[in-house]
Amino acid sequence: MTELYSASGSKVHAHKADIFCRDETRVDWHSKALWLLREKRDRAAASIPEWEQLRQLGSELKLHTLTHLTDYLQQFEQQCQANGIVVHWAKDGQEHNQIVLNILATHQVKRLVKSKSMLTEECHMNPFLEQHGIEVVDTDLGERIIQLANMPPSHIVVPAIHMKKQEVGDLFHQQLGTKKGESDPLYLTRAARAHLREKFLTADAAMTGVNMAIADQGAVVVCTNEGNADMGANLPKLQLHSMGIDKVVPNMDAAGVLLRTLARNATGQPITTYSSFYRGPQQDGEMHVIIVDNGRTEMMKDKILAESLKCIRCGGCLNTCPVYRRSGGYSYNYTIPGPIGIAVGAKEDSTHSIPWACTLCGSCTYVCPTKVPLDKIIAHHRRLKAESKTLPYGKSGYMPLVGRFMASDTMMNTSMSAARLALRVLPGSLLKPFSGAWGKYRELPVAPESSFATWYAKNRSR
Amino acid sequence: MSSKNSILSALSQSALTAHPMPNIEVEVTPQPLVETFAASLVTVAGELHQHGGLAALQAKVDELMAQKLQVLSLVEGVSGNRQVPNTAHELADIDYAILAGELGVAENGAIWVSQTQHRVTPFICENLILALPEKALVANMHQAVNQVSLAQGALGVFVAGPSKTADIEQALVVGAHGACSLQVYLY
Repeated sequence: MTELYSASGSKVHAHKADIFCRDETRVDWHSKALWLLREKRDRAAASIPEWEQLRQLGSELKLHTLTHLTDYLQQFEQQCQANGIVVHWAKDGQEHNQIVLNILATHQVKRLVKSKSMLTEECHMNPFLEQHGIEVVDTDLGERIIQLANMPPSHIVVPAIHMKKQEVGDLFHQQLGTKKGESDPLYLTRAARAHLREKFLTADAAMTGVNMAIADQGAVVVCTNEGNADMGANLPKLQLHSMGIDKVVPNMDAAGVLLRTLARNATGQPITTYSSFYRGPQQDGEMHVIIVDNGRTEMMKDKILAESLKCIRCGGCLNTCPVYRRSGGYSYNYTIPGPIGIAVGAKEDSTHSIPWACTLCGSCTYVCPTKVPLDKIIAHHRRLKAESKTLPYGKSGYMPLVGRFMASDTMMNTSMSAARLALRVLPGSLLKPFSGAWGKYRELPVAPESSFATWYAKNRSR
Repeated sequence: MSSKNSILSALSQSALTAHPMPNIEVEVTPQPLVETFAASLVTVAGELHQHGGLAALQAKVDELMAQKLQVLSLVEGVSGNRQVPNTAHELADIDYAILAGELGVAENGAIWVSQTQHRVTPFICENLILALPEKALVANMHQAVNQVSLAQGALGVFVAGPSKTADIEQALVVGAHGACSLQVYLY
């Protein structure tokens, strides 16, 4: 596994997927674990008769906010300031990290407790703060596991989904002193609770991500099941919240819609255990909100890519994706994996391969609670790669030939009848090498009697 | 140009065309409130005491105190054996916190709790008990968000059951960082 996450950004998706697929039992287990989440999601969605209406409302209210973002961001800032919240703006990850460091340095913070934030992952904040002598403690159990293992998250909601309990047991034995060989999830969770409680009680500051920022209230909403965000934000006197510009919603009504779909679509729960609305600092405390662009306004210049900013990070598209489930979170060359990772990360991928980590089956789009047209966005990324002449896998060499070949009836018909004949008369062992990567895990098809065109002319043309 | 201005000016180049705010009118599924709430609370691993009201809650608290457990009650008419301390950190050894639930949501078992002093109280206690008026039940989140109010400096939180996690092989473990159990007394 080490080989996988250390190869970050340097190898094409297919190569990394290949490494993940070497352990077939683990791949099957990974795929089933995620499919279980999809099934729970289906049951939760089906229990709400108005589910499709909620998806439509979610989509439209996010689109509305995105198309009036200048107004809503300014309203949010004004309302926050009226509530005693300090608002900062950051153009990119670097500026975000510097703002955070300045706030922490002013308060001489030595230990920061953090709850889950994909944005801070995107900005690579932890290593930056650590370089400046600040201890950063991830407090979500899954995040703490991967932090102790020195790995990035492999899923946006269940970040340690790729690890087996025995591996977590070994890790905790080494790092937290739990009993050797003990892998019971209850025992390990309790050990993490005790270990992190000590961190919460001695932290100098807390940081969380933001699920929604409510413009007309000047409040941020943070959703967790574990209560780690709230244990953090309410013990030390300094609380920080980082949010992308896409997190704003107009009002409480909008938040109500998204709170109905978020957890149901993520894990099948009717709502997360805690949905906390912070509207100002605690007594004698300080509250800071950092609003980050980091490429989002650039994405909005493209009408199709812009819709990926409707995403509320439920992770539903990862759980349903046949490619993600069988290639793992470390094969995407980006912090966020799966369909949404391709949508928002394809530009960052130096191998240009991740838009092809997709069968265009559309299952992601079908389950998305805000109707992000993921398959359309991914196909669009392929076009963008072609236009910028950065097609991967040698496609720029052979795809024009394939195009010419498929556009010619004669060439197509002649070669297909030759292929049918070959499949009938030649042994599989001789033909298999010609099927390339496709044939690696598949058997060659049984050749049909005739072409579809011949069959159609005979049976249906009259 | 400040970062704020440069972000706002970059937004003016957005390719999206204005989309109106949708009308959020969702029909309420007709369901009995108490029964639906009770079922939802079970789903989120909470426990409901439907009968007996605050008297039953006080009896429970007396029982806990007899076991020498540390009980803090912020509910009027229910008394525990601990007072609100000066600092939030001193709440670390509270075994049971008894707080007022202001609103309950039938569709998901969530209960609105708002806290101005020591906002960490509902999370840091080992176990949480909420007293919830039966008349404060609503059907769904659309109704809920319209009825809750958020004071400046307050933390308002929808609490749905005890803290939980499934981060290790998706095995559900109740009791992560927040309270390890949630009991709800309707009155």
